[in-house]
Amino acid sequence: MPAVSLIITTFDRPHLIARAVESARRAGADVEVILVDDASSDSTAVVCANLQGIKYVRLDRNQGVAGARNIGLLESTADFIAFLDDDDLRLPGSLDHQLSLFESFPEAGFVAGGVMLGDQECVPTGKMALVHAERGDLFWKILQLNVHLIPSSVVVRKSCFQEVGLFNRRLAGIDDWDMWVRIAEQHPVLIDTAPVCIYRQPTHSSRQGSSSLAKHMRRACNHQPKLLALPRARTAPASQRRSIRKITKRRIADTLSWRAAEELPDGAFAFAAENVFTALRISPAWAIRPTHLRVFWRSLKNRKALNS
Amino acid sequence: MPKVSVIIPTRNRCRLLRRAIQSAQLAGTDVQIVVVDVASEDETANVCASLASRGLIHYMRISRRLAPAPARNAGLLSCTAPYISFLDDDDIRLPGSLDKQLARLDSEPEAGMIYGKAFYGDEHGEPADDFYPENCPEGDLFWELMRWNFIPCSTVVFRRACLTRLGLLDDDIPGIEDWDLWVRIAELYPVISVAEPVAVWRRSNPSSEQFTSRSEELHLRARELHKDKWMRLPRALAASNDQRRKAKHEFASTAAQQLVWEAASNLKARRVAGFARVAFAGALMYPIGVSKKILSTRTLKSLLNGNHQ
Repeated sequence: MPAVSLIITTFDRPHLIARAVESARRAGADVEVILVDDASSDSTAVVCANLQGIKYVRLDRNQGVAGARNIGLLESTADFIAFLDDDDLRLPGSLDHQLSLFESFPEAGFVAGGVMLGDQECVPTGKMALVHAERGDLFWKILQLNVHLIPSSVVVRKSCFQEVGLFNRRLAGIDDWDMWVRIAEQHPVLIDTAPVCIYRQPTHSSRQGSSSLAKHMRRACNHQPKLLALPRARTAPASQRRSIRKITKRRIADTLSWRAAEELPDGAFAFAAENVFTALRISPAWAIRPTHLRVFWRSLKNRKALNS
Repeated sequence: MPKVSVIIPTRNRCRLLRRAIQSAQLAGTDVQIVVVDVASEDETANVCASLASRGLIHYMRISRRLAPAPARNAGLLSCTAPYISFLDDDDIRLPGSLDKQLARLDSEPEAGMIYGKAFYGDEHGEPADDFYPENCPEGDLFWELMRWNFIPCSTVVFRRACLTRLGLLDDDIPGIEDWDLWVRIAELYPVISVAEPVAVWRRSNPSSEQFTSRSEELHLRARELHKDKWMRLPRALAASNDQRRKAKHEFASTAAQQLVWEAASNLKARRVAGFARVAFAGALMYPIGVSKKILSTRTLKSLLNGNHQ
């Protein structure tokens, strides 16, 4: 039995998949690579069939990322599961490193690692996504979107899925967050800072799944009350739950506004407008504060400076 | 490796569960039983733990309440056999029935799934005389299954390979996720059957608090599913306009028929609220179909007879 199963889900990205699989193979000494092709309509199937030494599963009907991950889980044989998006890269030896973390902290439900941000070619930009090392009970933090976990950086104990169930297909785009919350509710979690993967940062024009940020944020906001109804969250006093809700809404408004301001100089007006409207809907009083307006003002000034 | 995995999701039905497990053990020679305990609060955990320690079942406990579909999906994680069957905790498999179906499925490598008849059972699971469905068609059942679900869930055995082609159960459609899976399997595979009873199906009634009780909601969900998902499956899209129109018409007419009968049986049992709900939903969803059915003399007659009795 292999030490860890790495599930790569792919959809219509034949030019990226070989690179991801290669990085996956080098990520650990004893790794089972499961490639789930979510009914791609282009040459992905041909490319995948030529890849050696992997378990290739092809779905004939598109299931979405969550559904494809579930199929990967169904095919996996190892006790530990890692995920990799088809446009991200795993760093060499990173899986071995994370498995050793499990040995040092055997109660952990999952272990997350540091994420290097990359450009559209997956060349590291030198920035890191996750900087704080944490261990222990992170349920509340993850629930409040205080810790942002990227699926490609996480290794999960398979038995966790048998306790909390599979990924929820209804929650396209935030199914991973939902899963981390459900696991963290019952298990301690370890977050390490050593980089384990390169994350291809979405831009408004890259048509990656996470480009529709506003939609996902709205979905996350609507889904949170269900997570707040988990038995553990229910034991908290109502005032605490209310404040969690408020903080999360503010954080979502912040994220949306900052991202909009970041992209505005590049002329992403539709993206920015959608973000601002969503932020205003989710937390109006917060999104209209002077701080937010100043950020936009600066970003527009940058744009003028670029143009002139 | 076991030949077939029987997945039994359960919640707080310890007594019934034990009966279901026993029946599954007797139904085949090489059976892996996977019990998915969805946060039961009774002694289910103890009973299952002792069975599991003797190696009779594979027990997994989900500590949070899940709907049946996600629970079945989670059960799939633990099963290793090439064939899969779902058994509800209040249903019963008949002795030897799994072996019979597996032998047939082995002899037809093309087929994706096999089903059979089910006895109706009463509250205690004792089989009544009549069974369901009356005849068991075989072959390409895609259009037929899209029209109405005549396959009792607990009688089905399907190949695990189907799932890796089509995906798992849809967790968005509580109550009809099995129907959805049969349609999706039938789109790509021929379906076969054994024309004899293989299970006992506990018929739901409004007082038993089973999940299937709220039928008008199921009809509503099925209507959306038919329109938004099934009619958009590649095979349905590739079909001729005539075929598509026929499928839509037949679906609406069957659903209207069922709604009228359900309303009538509610009326007979003098459940006014139930009658009003079903009738209202029916009139909203299929106004033409329902009025046609009501005006047909046969329905009127039986309605009147029912009221006089």
